[in-house]
Amino acid sequence: MHSQSIDAVPSQRPKNVFKKRSVSISYRISVFFRFIAAIFGGYVFTSVLISLLAILLPLNQLDSVLLTTTLSVFFYSCVFIWVFAVKSLKRVWITILLTTGVQFVILSLIKGWL
Amino acid sequence: MKENFFRSMTWLHTWVGLLVCWLLFLIFFAGTISFFKDEITYWFEPETHTVTHQDNRLAKQRQQINYAVEQLQNKAADSSSWRIYLPEPRNPLYTYSYAEPKQPGQRRAKFTETYLDPTINEEIAPPRETKGGYFFYRLHFDLHYIDVRTARWLVCLASLFMLIALITGVVIHKRIFKDMFSFRKNKGSRSWLDAHNVSSVLALPFHIMITYTGLITLIFMVFPYPAQTVYEKGLQQMFNEASPIRARVESSDVPAPLVSMNTILDQVYTKSPDADIGFFFIRDANKESSRVSVYLNTGKEVVDNGAAFLFSGSTGELLAEQGKDWSASARFYDSMTALHAGRLASPLLRWLYFLCGIAGCAMIATGCIMWAKRLRERLKPQQQAGVGLKLVETLNLATLMGLPFATASFFIANRLLPLEMVARADKEILVFFLAWLAMTVLAIISSSKRQWQLAAWLNALVCFAVPLVNAMTTEGNWISYLLTQKWTLFCVDFGFIIAGSLFILQGKKLRTASKKVSTRRFQKPKDLKEQQG
Repeated sequence: MHSQSIDAVPSQRPKNVFKKRSVSISYRISVFFRFIAAIFGGYVFTSVLISLLAILLPLNQLDSVLLTTTLSVFFYSCVFIWVFAVKSLKRVWITILLTTGVQFVILSLIKGWL
Repeated sequence: MKENFFRSMTWLHTWVGLLVCWLLFLIFFAGTISFFKDEITYWFEPETHTVTHQDNRLAKQRQQINYAVEQLQNKAADSSSWRIYLPEPRNPLYTYSYAEPKQPGQRRAKFTETYLDPTINEEIAPPRETKGGYFFYRLHFDLHYIDVRTARWLVCLASLFMLIALITGVVIHKRIFKDMFSFRKNKGSRSWLDAHNVSSVLALPFHIMITYTGLITLIFMVFPYPAQTVYEKGLQQMFNEASPIRARVESSDVPAPLVSMNTILDQVYTKSPDADIGFFFIRDANKESSRVSVYLNTGKEVVDNGAAFLFSGSTGELLAEQGKDWSASARFYDSMTALHAGRLASPLLRWLYFLCGIAGCAMIATGCIMWAKRLRERLKPQQQAGVGLKLVETLNLATLMGLPFATASFFIANRLLPLEMVARADKEILVFFLAWLAMTVLAIISSSKRQWQLAAWLNALVCFAVPLVNAMTTEGNWISYLLTQKWTLFCVDFGFIIAGSLFILQGKKLRTASKKVSTRRFQKPKDLKEQQG
């Protein structure tokens, strides 16, 4: 499915990860942290979001749990893709940590954990 | 992460796809085969092939349940659990079984099964020990030889990557309609790209549905948090509320005679006059705490947890009922698992599920082959291939050709292993993995075009061997199945003949391709496993 990018710029393709010398260490580290942000950051974000929604939704207990849990995969994939769509890795981490933190505080206040 | 959104998505599509493509191929391959899990198990138990479907299946259910309960009373009156499985459209047999006392250290009690021919209501000799289609079913989410929980997490992660690859695939795809009809033959990796597009786009709704709903089937393992936040006692409490008929009671030792099954069945038939009972479980028969659960078949409804009733076995009182008054959320969740398992599918729809599954296998296979082809084409004449490229090429050959090879070997092992062998079912599975290992060794030695050709010939050989070995070791063969209209058995045998022919085509194509040593690097889009029918 990548034909378009090849057609458009045959000579200046983005760096290929397997052409060893052209890939810097810092690039590899940033890719690694992006995957960490997507997999674990996305996971924690989704967990907190759906737990909060499950409490806030005006449905009975069972329904709110089933609905939010079923939608979890949708939220998770959105976050995952967003992490790779944003240019700055720093912005990714700050946004994830902030939003997750805020939601967690709200959740804790409602549940009386704090 | 790249200069623009489109580039980022292209990059993401390539890497999430490549990282898990071999595991995904295994999941899709085994999952596709498990759409015919019952049919395959039937093929694997030739001892039951003489049993024919009975007439008036529903009308006989009451009598069959009564008969089985009577037998169980004689054989295992104090067993903790009895199970009765009635004949269904996909399986003519009916069976009853009881739990043996648990041995120390055993997680689950062993069940002793009795098989009955419903038309004459007589016991038949127990079939050979085998897992049959159930093996593929478990393989596609539990893998094998590794811890089940770890396996399920791995499968979930791979499925998430698959979903991301599908979404990004759609995003980077600008001409979705046009690509449905374009196939540029003999153009190296461009042809592989077209094959990848065609197999993805044609069955795209299926791919997205099956991946999303697949994750949903294991979702309470991945995200138990909403249930844990909302309910004091977490998941267990939620499950008990969701399906009260599964609630467990403490076993009591107070003896109490089991009520007549007719008392219970009368209530079932009053509530649901044309009930089609699928299975009938009795726990702690002849005790005060006895419970009888009756599960009805769901038929063609998009429902996974169908109607079911829970009775007290000592009084005959209806304790709980499931399947009425489902809320929208509950239906939404339940329909997802139903869509994934496809139990609702009548034969035609089931074949469609199977074909879409094959398209999924082809999509994954063409994707990972294309990645390797691209890099090969970009190598300069004297340049050596890198470690990464070689690894991908080896894994491609080992997985894409190894799995069909292992599957056909598994079918042959079922017919050839001695019947009285100890732990026979496990040995069959061992053959599956040894065959796969053999193909992997072949791939490690070399993953050149010549090796692909060799693998194709080997695959063709084992595929043709399946109907042949079957004809030599059992009463029937694929021609007699055709004449006596045993379609299930015929389709399995014929499926292997088709698969074998496709592998011969592939081998021939590879031979002509490798003769032309020229710059043209092209193989026919490999016809992926028509593995069985």
